[in-house]
Amino acid sequence: MNTAEYIKQENTEQRKKQLENFLKVNGLEDIPPSDAVKMAFASDFNELSPSAKRGHVNAEQFFNAYNMNASGDFEYHHVAWRSLFVPTEIMYAMGLTPYTTEMVASQLAMSGAAVERIETAEANNFSGDLCSFMKTVAGGVIEDIFPTPDILLTSTHLCDPSAKYAELASEIYKRPEFILDIPYGIYDLEINKKDEKDQKRIDEAIDYVTEQFYEMINFITDHTGLELDHKKLKNACAWSNEARKWMDEGNNITLYERTSAEKGIKELDYAANLMQTWGTEKIADVYKSRYEEYKANPRSKSEDKVPRIAWFHLRPYFKNQLMKYLDEKIEISGSQVNFVFFDPIDPSDIIRSIAKRTVMHPAYSSVTARTKIAISQIPEDTDGIIAYYPKSCRHFHGGAIMENEMFKKAGLSILTIDGDCVDDRGDDFPIVKTRVDRFLKMISK
Amino acid sequence: MEKTGWFCSYTPVEIIDAAGSLPVGIKYDSGAEHEDVLLGDSMCSYVRSCMGGALTNKYDDLNGVVIAHSCECMRRLSDGWGYKQHEIKPDLIHTLDIPKVVSGSSIKFFAGGIKRMKEDLEKKYGEISDDAIRKSIQKYNQIRQTFEKIDELRKKEDTAVTGTEIEQLMSEYFSTDPEKFSKAAFDFYESKKDAVQPADLPRVMIIGGPGNSSLIKTIENSGGLSVVENLCTGIRAFAGESEPKNDPYLELAEIYLEKTPCPRMLGDKARAGIKEISDLAKEYKVDGILYFSMKFCANMQMQWALLKNSDTSEIPIKVMEGDISSEINEREIHSFIKRLKKRRKKKQ
Repeated sequence: MNTAEYIKQENTEQRKKQLENFLKVNGLEDIPPSDAVKMAFASDFNELSPSAKRGHVNAEQFFNAYNMNASGDFEYHHVAWRSLFVPTEIMYAMGLTPYTTEMVASQLAMSGAAVERIETAEANNFSGDLCSFMKTVAGGVIEDIFPTPDILLTSTHLCDPSAKYAELASEIYKRPEFILDIPYGIYDLEINKKDEKDQKRIDEAIDYVTEQFYEMINFITDHTGLELDHKKLKNACAWSNEARKWMDEGNNITLYERTSAEKGIKELDYAANLMQTWGTEKIADVYKSRYEEYKANPRSKSEDKVPRIAWFHLRPYFKNQLMKYLDEKIEISGSQVNFVFFDPIDPSDIIRSIAKRTVMHPAYSSVTARTKIAISQIPEDTDGIIAYYPKSCRHFHGGAIMENEMFKKAGLSILTIDGDCVDDRGDDFPIVKTRVDRFLKMISK
Repeated sequence: MEKTGWFCSYTPVEIIDAAGSLPVGIKYDSGAEHEDVLLGDSMCSYVRSCMGGALTNKYDDLNGVVIAHSCECMRRLSDGWGYKQHEIKPDLIHTLDIPKVVSGSSIKFFAGGIKRMKEDLEKKYGEISDDAIRKSIQKYNQIRQTFEKIDELRKKEDTAVTGTEIEQLMSEYFSTDPEKFSKAAFDFYESKKDAVQPADLPRVMIIGGPGNSSLIKTIENSGGLSVVENLCTGIRAFAGESEPKNDPYLELAEIYLEKTPCPRMLGDKARAGIKEISDLAKEYKVDGILYFSMKFCANMQMQWALLKNSDTSEIPIKVMEGDISSEINEREIHSFIKRLKKRRKKKQ
């Protein structure tokens, strides 16, 4: 047996056990894995609501990573663990299935199974003030509930722990990792460009990341035997471009027009910027369905009943009263994580075009730059901003005071909620409710 | 003389020196941690101290600063400093992005970043020639060579060099002209090269970040000897030496990215960092490791978790979490040193 065959066999055996472990920590140990898969796909994709379609795509990919197809049958997948901002089009074009651990952490929070994983991590030397997404992942790795990867692909943006955790996983699973080193502040340079020297540095940054993508392609081939299929890459980019178009069109309706379609907090769960589904045919369908639903249900401004709020960062994924309360009290008109910040991929220069999108991520820029974009994008008839920042997030929470000052100067009211997305141990709804009520009262004046 | 502040050991101070400006390392004890009203409590205490210091005029004698984008907390320091630039006296601020991996392409990209740093400094201090940079590299090479000799002394069981003395020397390094410091370091070496201290003390390696002014003193007052400090203010403060290259920016980029890594580094370099810890422990005949992890530094917190979880060596590792200015729990250190003493006796 050669190394590739040996790894495939080892992965197959391990993933079978790992899926059982995953179901067990979610209280589903009595259900055979193939039945669990069938339960997840009880309805036909085309008959689902846009939001349910999104969930369907994610669930399908999730089970694929454990070698199960949507029918509950075995099908081997080459799995690449990915941190949130690693682009996925190249992965699909090489036949890889992405597995985004931070997304799984939020999934565990939704099923009430995150805190135990966090406690496992804390009992195994992971400090209490580390990012709770990463502690959930670390706990899950220690408890062996995630599918053994073929390889790990991580990037240095936006935060430190999201790349650092791969070191742990790589060591435990004995699988190689590739790290994309993304230059910081290039978006700042782009919007404040003064001379050709600045342009040269922007070009150098894009070249640097382009070069790393080619290195990543070679790395994937070396460790999995999978090769880049240029036709598949073209298709993946065409679907990404289509998805981008529909996401943007849908955003324009929610932000600048009105829709009576019930969005609620589900709007936040598209979290388009973070998704591993860019480059799939189904995600273009999801975003198109969303747009069509919004478009088919127009609403006039005079029918506004609750304040229209732009939402920053993510939401608490654990069972909580806050989002239910907010669902009644506000309308989410825009979401930072759904913002389409990038141009379509250029089909004539795909790799460089993806590198440009990666480098120009506005969230990987100064607080001043990212706040300026928000001020320019949020329409005047938005009543305020709610920013939900985990205290363990240095990147977003650490910029909150500056951001608050800048928004206030621009005449935009903002409420920053110090919370957590996956760890509910500090959740205190009555206190947050008081702050929310005061904020809503203030903006109503 | 004009002065330029720097914060992170990945800053190529040679460029500042070549500009004719004194490179001033902003240490853990120079700022005002409790005066930071801008970055908030999810930031590490070093960054909060620097921000607080800037907001309360502690760095008014500087003409500029180079802020290395080395981690997410330093990123916010750069943001905060830029945001409050109109209230802060040093008028030059340059943010230098530092790659987190070491490869041919990352070295080349970092060299481009160092060149941009030079161009920014030129706006303030005038032209910086390649020759001036090469001369400065030479000056710092001399310092590095002297420290290598001092380190050799510290590896000996009967070394007369204490951690407290090195801490004092490093403090001078952070604020002294490199030529003057080079002489001071050499004089220190000369004064110690033939001295011996036969006391049988447990030998400790400290791992951490910018440090804490009580840490080394507490270890040595408790009967231990700090023999190697894997800190920003210890061995990580110095890059290694390289073969001279036609392009001094490439030369600097290479030696800085290749130096003993901060926990911020990733991939192979991070793994090399873990291995280096175990190599250092052997070279310096270390009895125990004290990992002083700074609160809110995700890189250190992740590294010590990895280190503890994968540790197979027999050297005890004690982890303490704290801040740059927090008091050190003396009792905890005492009991660690006591444990090391017992182990040492057993080995003998």
